[in-house]
Amino acid sequence: MEIFHGVLYGFQVALQPINLLYCFAGVFIGTLVGVLPGLGPAAAIALLLPSTFAASPVSAIIMLAGIYYGAMYGGSTTSILMNIPGEAASVVTCLDGHAMARQGRAGAALGISAFGSFIAGTLSVVALTFLAPFLARVTLSFGPPEYFALMVLGLTLLTYFARESMVKALIMAAAGLLCGTVGQDVMSGRFRFAFGIRTLEDGLGLVPVIMGLFGVSEVLLNLEQREEATEIFAPPTTGLLPTRADWRASTLPILRGSALGFFLGILPGAGAIIASFVSYAVEKRASKHPERFGRGAIEGVAGPEAANNAAAGGAFIPLLTLGIPANAVMAILLGALMIHGLQPGPLLVKQAPDVFWGIITSMYIGNAMLLVLNLPLIPLWARLLQVPYAIMFPFILLFCLIGAYSVGNNVGDGLVMWVFGVVGYLLKKFDYEGAPLILAMVIGPMMEESLRQSLILSGGDFAVLVSRPISAAFILAAAVLLLLPLLRSRTAVPASS
Amino acid sequence: MPRDLVSGLFWLAVAIFAAVQGLSLNLGSLNRPGPGFFPFWGGVVLGVLSVVLIVRSFRPVAAGPRIRPESWKPLVVVGALLAYLVLLEPLGFVAVTFLFLLLLFRLEQRGWAFSAGSAAIGTLASYGLFQVWLRTQLPTGPFGF
Repeated sequence: MEIFHGVLYGFQVALQPINLLYCFAGVFIGTLVGVLPGLGPAAAIALLLPSTFAASPVSAIIMLAGIYYGAMYGGSTTSILMNIPGEAASVVTCLDGHAMARQGRAGAALGISAFGSFIAGTLSVVALTFLAPFLARVTLSFGPPEYFALMVLGLTLLTYFARESMVKALIMAAAGLLCGTVGQDVMSGRFRFAFGIRTLEDGLGLVPVIMGLFGVSEVLLNLEQREEATEIFAPPTTGLLPTRADWRASTLPILRGSALGFFLGILPGAGAIIASFVSYAVEKRASKHPERFGRGAIEGVAGPEAANNAAAGGAFIPLLTLGIPANAVMAILLGALMIHGLQPGPLLVKQAPDVFWGIITSMYIGNAMLLVLNLPLIPLWARLLQVPYAIMFPFILLFCLIGAYSVGNNVGDGLVMWVFGVVGYLLKKFDYEGAPLILAMVIGPMMEESLRQSLILSGGDFAVLVSRPISAAFILAAAVLLLLPLLRSRTAVPASS
Repeated sequence: MPRDLVSGLFWLAVAIFAAVQGLSLNLGSLNRPGPGFFPFWGGVVLGVLSVVLIVRSFRPVAAGPRIRPESWKPLVVVGALLAYLVLLEPLGFVAVTFLFLLLLFRLEQRGWAFSAGSAAIGTLASYGLFQVWLRTQLPTGPFGF
């Protein structure tokens, strides 16, 4: 009953004209960001954060959230029509989506992506609706040791799923934790790593760091690649509605993708990219004809596209119930909530029910808007993709510059972005990923505080982390994840040599 | 020199720096950890990880892609970004943005007329979007804009 009231209340908030407008703006911008390669949702949300300062907290978060799941819809269009992922979570969609387009089935691929995304997005919001209030009640009993252990598990998961070496991902996480300590120490008031620079005394800003790592460095890398003439398939005007055979092939992958995506999305550190890869692997294994994969199997489009949308919904769970961001996008949303004077965590549902339920229900509306919007707008997106990169990148850079500056009207923030842009470029060159660094930087201060509080509580005894059952379970899971690759490599090396 | 050795040494340096800073910030005691506690132990963990990476970098592996930049364009862009930030407050948003866009359009071999026109339109459009519509406080230069 409590949930029923909550949902009803949420719709009252989300259906207010102003919030509908913000929701629409969010999903529209999100789709655009998803379609455009080289501009991801994290950088886009960071960019637009300052422009929401004047809005009410609910409207602001509704719009920023819309950008995130809107981008999941948009990414597939570019993957299918151009064989370039519009957004990182649509990488696998290229494989079969583009193959389908080459066979003249672009319409079916785009259609099943949109419907699959809608079904998965909606299912995952339903799960969020029921799970979030329940989990908020459970996590209310979490003390500093549980928080610390959970964040350790989150960071470990992220490094476990790293595509490059796990050691490098762990290095990124450790470096991120150190970045998080820059600025004034909350508990003692002392400045750390600030060197008397005013911008650093406030700590490294999340917006400039993200725009540097995910915006500027991305442009630098793209500039290096020789311009290739990419073929863009003319957007189909008919055949967007999947046929009955398409539905028969896609229904189970969509449902499996939804479940996988939702649960992987909840785990801090896993997220939409991994969900889409796992879903593709699962569908290939479940298929009676795995050889069709990569040659235009509709299951290979439906599953991953469902998974990345469901993951976007699942990612809200740790944010709304624990105040822990699951990925870089959630980290900015966390920042946005705090800027608007709200403390995300188990108390959010009590302290700001309008925000809590308003965000959740707005996602039902946003998903419906996206389904209606997306298919008719595909010709527009395809035209947009014909704009050459030479015209686009100066504006991406300019928007990053203005965005970083306008957070606090401070050139120093721009310089932070510049440094992280160069660092991000070098990291890619040396095969590092930026994601663990960002997540660690955001949760670093929370981890530090909960660790120091735990130690104060226990009188300096680290056993407090393993003597409480919930925190012990988290620590154990993290330890297993850390040791697993070691065991595997020890058994795998003799076999291969 | 193996690529992982280069980056491993870099992280080792960062780790030592962080640990030394942590020590000078006061570690506190275990039952009352001070401001240096987390940076110190973070530095120690980073140091251990970078040593692992350095040791592993000597194992023979298939050669990875080259590190050197494939083109000079990123360097120009990095320079342009820095120049933009340094000149933004002295010269004002409009002038700096126009020059910035002009340079970047020229970078991709667009003609002067096209570049200048696009840069002017882009400057006006972004001024309208951020200053007039979103009310961002963009810096004004000596010319009053």
